[in-house]
Amino acid sequence: MTMTMSNFPPAFIFLLGAVLLPVLPRRMRAAAFLVFPLAAFFLLLRLEPGATLTMPFLNYELVLCRVDKLSLAFGYVFVIMGFLGGVYGFHLKDTLQQVSALLYVGSSLGVVFAGDLFTLLVFWEIMAVASLVLIWARRTPGARRAGFRYLIVHAFGGSALMAGILWHIGETGSIMFNHFDGGIASSLILLSFALNAAVPPLNGWLPDSYPEGTVTGSVFLSAFTTKVAVYALARGFAGLELLIWAGAIMAVYGVVFAFLANDGRRLLAYHIISQVGYMVSGVGIGTAMAVNGAIAHAFAHILYKGLLFMGMGTVLYITGRNKLTELGGLVRSAPLVLILFMVGAFSISGVPLFSGFVSKSMVIYAAELEHLGVIVLLLNLASIGTFLSIGLKLPYFTWFSTDRGLKPKRIPLGMYLGMALTAVICIAIGVYPALLYNLLPFAVHYQPYTASHLMETMQLLIFTGLAFWLVIRKLHVEATITLDTDWVYRRPSRLAYRVFSVALCRFLDAVEDLSLRLVQLTVRLGANPPGFLVETIGHAGHLFFRTGKPAPEPSHFSPDRYRIPLGVMVLVVLLCLVALLVWDVLF
Amino acid sequence: MKRILVITIAALVIFVLLDIFLVRGQAHNGFPWSHLAGFFSLFGFLGCLALIAVAKLLGHYWLQRDEDHYDNDDDDE
Repeated sequence: MTMTMSNFPPAFIFLLGAVLLPVLPRRMRAAAFLVFPLAAFFLLLRLEPGATLTMPFLNYELVLCRVDKLSLAFGYVFVIMGFLGGVYGFHLKDTLQQVSALLYVGSSLGVVFAGDLFTLLVFWEIMAVASLVLIWARRTPGARRAGFRYLIVHAFGGSALMAGILWHIGETGSIMFNHFDGGIASSLILLSFALNAAVPPLNGWLPDSYPEGTVTGSVFLSAFTTKVAVYALARGFAGLELLIWAGAIMAVYGVVFAFLANDGRRLLAYHIISQVGYMVSGVGIGTAMAVNGAIAHAFAHILYKGLLFMGMGTVLYITGRNKLTELGGLVRSAPLVLILFMVGAFSISGVPLFSGFVSKSMVIYAAELEHLGVIVLLLNLASIGTFLSIGLKLPYFTWFSTDRGLKPKRIPLGMYLGMALTAVICIAIGVYPALLYNLLPFAVHYQPYTASHLMETMQLLIFTGLAFWLVIRKLHVEATITLDTDWVYRRPSRLAYRVFSVALCRFLDAVEDLSLRLVQLTVRLGANPPGFLVETIGHAGHLFFRTGKPAPEPSHFSPDRYRIPLGVMVLVVLLCLVALLVWDVLF
Repeated sequence: MKRILVITIAALVIFVLLDIFLVRGQAHNGFPWSHLAGFFSLFGFLGCLALIAVAKLLGHYWLQRDEDHYDNDDDDE
């Protein structure tokens, strides 16, 4: 099929941007960055559901672009978030971050519009590398180390994906990316999708690396990798029962760990896990309502989570601090950031009139329709924890609590503008949910603003607030870190390093040393066997009798030195003859 | 402290009444708690306290470590 505006892969616009940006004049780059999401947005408006762009490759037909409502929904929010991130990072003079952000958005779009597994894999890997650069771009030792761990985990995930894809192609002969039917190949693919979605126990990489990214980089990080995984799960594994439970447990897991976090952005990172839990659960339920809910929630989540990361990123930018134990009292110096942050906080908590309310409730409603009582309760419990940590605790310890007398830097206009635009969209979706619902893949009717639903939500939130108020004096943040599943490759890695690197090196050293000694001995023995023996024995006797004389130096072989003189031989012969003579005379 | 309790109880009463008069009959599912007025008030309140308690217990007895917990590992680099 020929390439037209109706089937042009949106990823290519960003890839082009990543190539063009570094050759533009430096001061134009931040502005030029915004052109590519805008162009991609207008392209998305022109894409026609059902259109595909194919390209022959070896014996297969690659589908570089497959347009349907599922990919379009993710496409829109990715492009919008790319634009908002660009506005937020307008002050940046760091081409490395700008280029990798473009690559990251582009490759994410590449995955959601990929119709076949090869294309998916290629963009999947670009995504991992581009996101890694956004971590390393912070240029701190902590970021460097966290980046390496991130790389190892995602290399593992990518390998699992590739193995699964090859196996799948071997079994079915098809490279198309559609619903998977189970089997080992599907399990491997599921493993890599679950790893990117940070489903426990494969979640350790996320709270480990996202707080280490740059201020702007983490805004991008929070939006793409996990939601691309949600897309992939929705496409490949909708209706898989395992995911219902994995998602619900994940939602609670995230809030429990978030409560222990001291780093503001780590707290938010744990809430990504929690929120993605709703989506994974929705995908697992698999009904039209549930999948719609998962996608609606992904859409809303990308925006409010981006806003929250922008808020905490701004705090980090102006104070240089991100730990709750070192923050407090910012309400006088950065009140506007608090207001914008609270829009995000209300959205993620599902406060009515904010975006989370109209999306989260859809997943819970879908679970209610399927009579999954425990799931409903677990997801509601996660809502409580979300409001507790992000709606109450994080703002309390950052903007109120103890005034640390911080002298914040001036906030660039772009940061404000990025946050304000994102906040406007969060409220718009909450007030007018049809904006979001019209993008969803399935046509189902859902009304979030019902009396019973409003009542449930208000009760949950108000009583969470009251309980928090009750214990607030006893709550104090602690300057600690929390063990998570990244322990598995961080702590035993020390042991593995000792065993496989330090101990092995020492063993090899010892073997080398021993071999060299043997060679030396052999050389000396071969060069002068009798001398060597004499010297060794002499030396041993010398040691044995402790004569105090230094050990003799090994000598070079000289044939004359050990040759018996001719006179001695004659004497021996004569003596022998005399002996024979005597023998003959006597006997 | 007393003020909080008064407000909490007042809120509970209001929500129970609202649940009874506003929402009753609209419950869209057959869960055991669907017809229990004020259930989500209790769930929110106790759920919040339980989450804090579980998190703090897990943290103190198992998961929380010093900030330099992993740093010693990098000495071997």
